[in-house]
Amino acid sequence: MSKITIPLGPQHPALKEPENFMLVLEGEQITGATVNLGYNHRGMEKAAENRTYIQNLYLIERVCGICSHSHTTTYITNVEELAKCETPKRALAIRTLFAELERVHSHLLWLGVAGYEMGFETLFMYTWRDREQVLDCLEMLSGNRVHYSINTIGGVRRDISAEQKAGVIKRIDYLIERTNYYIKLALEEPTVAARTANVGKLPPEVAIERGAVGPTARASGIARDVRKDEPYLIYNELDFKLITHNTNDVFGRLVVRALELVESYKMIKEVLNNLPEGPIAVKVPMRIAPGECVNHYEAPRGEDIHYLKANGTDKPERLKVRAPTLANLQSVAYMMEGGWLADVPLVIAAIDPCMSCTDRAVVWDPKKGRKQVYGWEELRKLSIEQYKRRGVDFTRL
Amino acid sequence: MSEFAREEKVKADIEAKFAGAVTNASVQRKNRVWLELEPSRLPELLAWLKAAGFDHLATVTGFDEGENLGAHYHMTDTKMLVNVKVKTPRTNPVLPSVLKVFPGALSYELELQDMLGIKVEGLPPGRRYPLDDDFPTDQYPLRKDWKVEEYLAKNPLFPTEAK
Amino acid sequence: MESIIPLAYLIIFPGFLFLAVYGMFLQWVDRKLCAVMQNRMGPPWFQPFADFIKLLAKEVIVPDAADSAMFRALPYFAMAAVITALVSIPVSGPAALFSYQGDLVAVIYLLTIPTVTFFLAGWSSTSPYSTVGSMRVLTQLFAYEVPLMLSLIGPAILAGSWNISEIAAFFTAHPVLIPSQLLGFLAALIALQVKLERMPFDIPHAKNEIVGGQFTEYSGRLLNFFLLAVDMELVVGAALVNAVFLGGSLGFAGWAGIGVFLGKTLFITFLLALLKVLMARIRIEQMINFCWKYLAPVAMAQVAFDIFLKFKLG
Repeated sequence: MSKITIPLGPQHPALKEPENFMLVLEGEQITGATVNLGYNHRGMEKAAENRTYIQNLYLIERVCGICSHSHTTTYITNVEELAKCETPKRALAIRTLFAELERVHSHLLWLGVAGYEMGFETLFMYTWRDREQVLDCLEMLSGNRVHYSINTIGGVRRDISAEQKAGVIKRIDYLIERTNYYIKLALEEPTVAARTANVGKLPPEVAIERGAVGPTARASGIARDVRKDEPYLIYNELDFKLITHNTNDVFGRLVVRALELVESYKMIKEVLNNLPEGPIAVKVPMRIAPGECVNHYEAPRGEDIHYLKANGTDKPERLKVRAPTLANLQSVAYMMEGGWLADVPLVIAAIDPCMSCTDRAVVWDPKKGRKQVYGWEELRKLSIEQYKRRGVDFTRL
Repeated sequence: MSEFAREEKVKADIEAKFAGAVTNASVQRKNRVWLELEPSRLPELLAWLKAAGFDHLATVTGFDEGENLGAHYHMTDTKMLVNVKVKTPRTNPVLPSVLKVFPGALSYELELQDMLGIKVEGLPPGRRYPLDDDFPTDQYPLRKDWKVEEYLAKNPLFPTEAK
Repeated sequence: MESIIPLAYLIIFPGFLFLAVYGMFLQWVDRKLCAVMQNRMGPPWFQPFADFIKLLAKEVIVPDAADSAMFRALPYFAMAAVITALVSIPVSGPAALFSYQGDLVAVIYLLTIPTVTFFLAGWSSTSPYSTVGSMRVLTQLFAYEVPLMLSLIGPAILAGSWNISEIAAFFTAHPVLIPSQLLGFLAALIALQVKLERMPFDIPHAKNEIVGGQFTEYSGRLLNFFLLAVDMELVVGAALVNAVFLGGSLGFAGWAGIGVFLGKTLFITFLLALLKVLMARIRIEQMINFCWKYLAPVAMAQVAFDIFLKFKLG
């Protein structure tokens, strides 16, 4: 049979963000794959050199929509290390809380995407509906669903009240119940097993050689988690298990993420119940003494590493961001070769790729549109009315 | 010596093994070792570190120090970070490739080449990353003398329409 | 006047218009049921019609490399074949419009034509996605055709007739025998799901893998008629299963017959929607394995049981 070369991306229904895979097919099997990146380069590292430390905080947050807290926390850890600032304990605890809520939100999102990529739309619809619960938590705590902006240099911007705490715990309890159901479903549904077992094999040696990180590496049996290896924030005080799985395939990645969800719920409750008292932020000078440092962080997708060099002014000399996806992408070509075309979307999705993180940062649009502020209730009302005009009534929900 | 025993040991081992090539080695704090290296010994040191358990090249940070360009190679065994700094003159910036040791470093090295104009010897041919195919090949955005405004003045994003 | 009535049969009921409207209605029922099962709202009742009208207004783009005449003609072939198949299946009464000995075989083959046109459509549009899609269409055809045929043979053997109306009449006369066809009924339902390329068997146009599959290059009116043909296939498939396994209109005629028909096709659609939401899409090689290793033997077992039953009953 003659070979066909199929372009997967930059625009393709299986990809949520632009990237390109050229697949050489022999019938249904893949004999060669190349990964092309760079469709999303925004020049953020250059942009960061022209902004002050506090402005950069909001730039770095926009590296990625899902792991916005991961990037800001890594960045801020660097800045605080260089500024020799003692961040209050309560602020660290709140950051940890957000980190874990973010992990829950990211893993639930991934579970849905994985379901969608294997053609299991029901799982997708279910998990994304439940993900709203954790987004509600984040919104209640920070005011935003995605870009929480909770971090500030020297601490956090908002405190947590008793009602908020109760609200979060209520929602987490609901999510624990749902997640147990999904774990049961993922382990028992035969078509899920058929689609994920022995798909996208990544032996541990290859995973190490190609620098895989996060759940991708942990599903290959490599016990690596920055939270355990070099505890940051308050992780050394928390009780959690490092989840690994030794099947080296997509099924393993599914199990690792599902079980990590359970650990995250546990940690969220632990942090909330033992929130230290005290201030939530300290003042940090605008200018930061010359120096350089590097810190890593366990983002939902894997190890996120930032390098920061200060030159004594209020702007950084050099800021380097390496998102987990870039480290994992080198393994994807390996995982796809010899596999089936039908598995490609799933294999790509299994590393939970985030292209915006990977290709970063030059040009911004200075045009300002008409400004109008809508509250949540107003937005909700507006959308309900709009759908009513189209014949769908959401008020019953 | 007492507080950071492990860090000091790694540092001393590297200094003993690569005597003459390593300068400015220091222990910054717990789990952080910094050192500077002759670029020619880079693949060798990385291979040695890999064998010593530092088998994860976390990332490569390119930098521009004016006279010199260069890169930090952040090696880690997930606990300790060993940051290897190499410098190369701005007039003829060349670094050896470490792909033989770390095949996963491809995108980091391509980035050095595209963003800073450091020629990496031993890279396989292929598409460029991370910049666009139509971005001029003689411009290196991460160098300090490269300004967004100047570039935009020369290459407007959208042709301005006459009204 | 005499010559107008057959024409009205063909164009209005149970021909083109009925098929188109009921097909779109069933599409809505299917989507709504899936939505409810997936814990979401689902589209309003007029959504399929709105989609239809909107697509009619869109531009038709024919790829340069495609054979223009064939590319344009294929959707109509698909639709014509489906409508022709319905002519021999009883809808509103115990008898079909044109029934003859052997029409069961004819209907199965008429229902194969849309699948072949899907293949030709994908192949003639020459884009890589459509090429892979059309190869999958053919692979799928070889996988489901035998189990579908086998499962339909069982009742035919029992009834001792190759005429769909007669098979329906036989089961109407002996309703006790309907439960004995359970295995064959399930096999036929699953084979029908494969045939209609619905989840979990929507492999030829799995959007995450090969975008639109065989229809990738189709747009506007032409795509619309292909989609309509698929909707009609659902009605005809449900009608066929109803007539062969469930005794057709159960002897009712006129409005009551239509009511029975609608009720039973809706029930079959419900079963198909249930299959759709319960499972993840399987790979093409798993689909072939499933069809030949499990589906075909199950259908075969039903045939053997029917032959045994036939001897027992005399």
